[in-house]
Amino acid sequence: MLYHLVKKDFLLAKRYWIVLLIAALVLPVFIHTKLMAGGEFPSFFISTLFIAYLMFNSASMAEDKFRGAAYLCATPYTRKKLVIAKYVMVAVLFAACYLLYTLTALIAPLELRLLNLYESGLAVLILQIAFGVIIPIQYRFGYEKSRYIFFFMIFITPFVMPSVIKLLQNSSMDWSNIPLSQPMQGLLFVLLAAVIGAASLLISIRVYASRDL
Amino acid sequence: MKPILEVNELTKQLGSFKLDNVSFSLTEGCITGFIGVNGAGKTTTIKLLLGLIQKDAGEIKFFGKSIQNNEHEFKNRIGIVLDDGYFYDDLTLLEMKNVIAASYSNWDNRLFKRNIDRFGLPLNQRIGTLSKGMRMKYAIALAISHHADLLIMDEPTSGLDPQVRLELMDILLEYVGEGKSVFLSSHITSDLDKVADMLILIHGGRIIFSEEKDLLLDKHGLVKGDNKELNEQSKALFLTLDETDYGFSGLTADKAAVRRQMKNVYIERPSIEDIMLSYIKR
Amino acid sequence: MKIIITNTSDLPIYQKIKDQIKQAILQGELAEGEMLPSIRALANDLHVSVLTTRRVYDELEAEGFITTKAGKGSFVAKENVELLMESKRRMVESKLTEAWEAARMLGIQKSELYAMMDLLFEEEEE
Repeated sequence: MLYHLVKKDFLLAKRYWIVLLIAALVLPVFIHTKLMAGGEFPSFFISTLFIAYLMFNSASMAEDKFRGAAYLCATPYTRKKLVIAKYVMVAVLFAACYLLYTLTALIAPLELRLLNLYESGLAVLILQIAFGVIIPIQYRFGYEKSRYIFFFMIFITPFVMPSVIKLLQNSSMDWSNIPLSQPMQGLLFVLLAAVIGAASLLISIRVYASRDL
Repeated sequence: MKPILEVNELTKQLGSFKLDNVSFSLTEGCITGFIGVNGAGKTTTIKLLLGLIQKDAGEIKFFGKSIQNNEHEFKNRIGIVLDDGYFYDDLTLLEMKNVIAASYSNWDNRLFKRNIDRFGLPLNQRIGTLSKGMRMKYAIALAISHHADLLIMDEPTSGLDPQVRLELMDILLEYVGEGKSVFLSSHITSDLDKVADMLILIHGGRIIFSEEKDLLLDKHGLVKGDNKELNEQSKALFLTLDETDYGFSGLTADKAAVRRQMKNVYIERPSIEDIMLSYIKR
Repeated sequence: MKIIITNTSDLPIYQKIKDQIKQAILQGELAEGEMLPSIRALANDLHVSVLTTRRVYDELEAEGFITTKAGKGSFVAKENVELLMESKRRMVESKLTEAWEAARMLGIQKSELYAMMDLLFEEEEE
């Protein structure tokens, strides 16, 4: 059952598949050539965020346009299942991007290094935070309204980011003092991401349960 | 014949519209027409039945069991056709079917194939390319391929040409022939004249009547005659009355009383639409 | 068996159908033991509600004209002469009442009505 719902989300975005598949292969390489040494993490992170968001957004757009969720909710599919399918879709997108990046890194005639556990964990954590916020907001306010919210959030980022970074820099002392090896920290990030994902999922399920379709 | 679905005091406030204490029941093996003008509360009631919007109060029972605690079983045993379909137009008929079919535990793919062949539907085409009539047939094919006990349809005939509407009515008659039940809303009552067994009229969020179609037609009469037949007492027998210099015509809910009290009048059989409008106009 | 539903009389629809089925049974048009159409089939053919045809069959069964076996269908009951005769007599009575009501409405006198009846008998004897 869940498989079909996830598949449906991918089918809704099917006209972007080719573009995004190429993007997943080319973007990391492109960003990496601009950044050169040490650019592996940002190139993977930025391209994954870009691709996952575009896929997620085009599926949501189609969902909003055709309002098929109302029909699905009238079948034995529960609202909970529909929400879970959305999260699975995002997780599949992460995994696909990771695979494609690894593939690129292995076959591209470039100095593109494979991601280590620490970087992978960090990327998953940040992506999870982003989507962990985006998905419940979309369920709460609907596609149209949440687009404005996201737009506003992106708009204020340049103003807020510096202070956030500063805050992080100030606290980074304690961060590196954690008596854990980098790979262990990577695993910790993944664990944290899972917790955030689960919390976000529970919120989304609650929010969607009482929405009028 | 037992009740298959019972709705008790269903209430929902939606903006300025209120669905007010709606109660009715559907009889097994029957086609029940849910009639009313646009905005009367038909779609709201159906959405409440399907749990697409949350009710403020009330209870819905399916085969005697509250659907609140048996939602999955209820949805598994009903077929649904929503106004306009609510389909993902970008998917092909086959892709959409695969999503829907997976949700029903007793989906019968051979039955679906038979229906598809019968309606001449192109499985590999995008849903968005279907004509209005084909879209409806596709919706029905999806709704009747899992041996549902009850088919719930919201405005299935709106926007369809008369020939397709006729075909649809035949499909419904065939469906109930197997002992299944149908609940369909419509503001086009001429379709229901032919096929409905029961009629429920809703207006302004309230149920006006819920009655067997034939009894309704037996009781009501379209009366025409000379104005001198009208007096205070006889006027009270009419739901609507239209007086001109040449005579009067009016609709009564008590044909027998008119026959007793007014001797020289013509009584014709009204249509469902005449009856519906006479209650709404009041 | 033919069933024609007209709007010329004020009888309820189920009554019209019931009377005609009864007539078909009484006149031997429907043989004893013969299977009747299902309530849904009859309803569809006559464009009436299945609730109406169900009422017709229920009443016919109560009056002993038909029997219904669950899952098999409805059949014309084994003839019960006395019952049928009684019913026929009642039918004559009801038709006469109808004629009498019409006559009264038109202001036809008792003697005139008797004369009409005499004429019918005379015609038959000729």
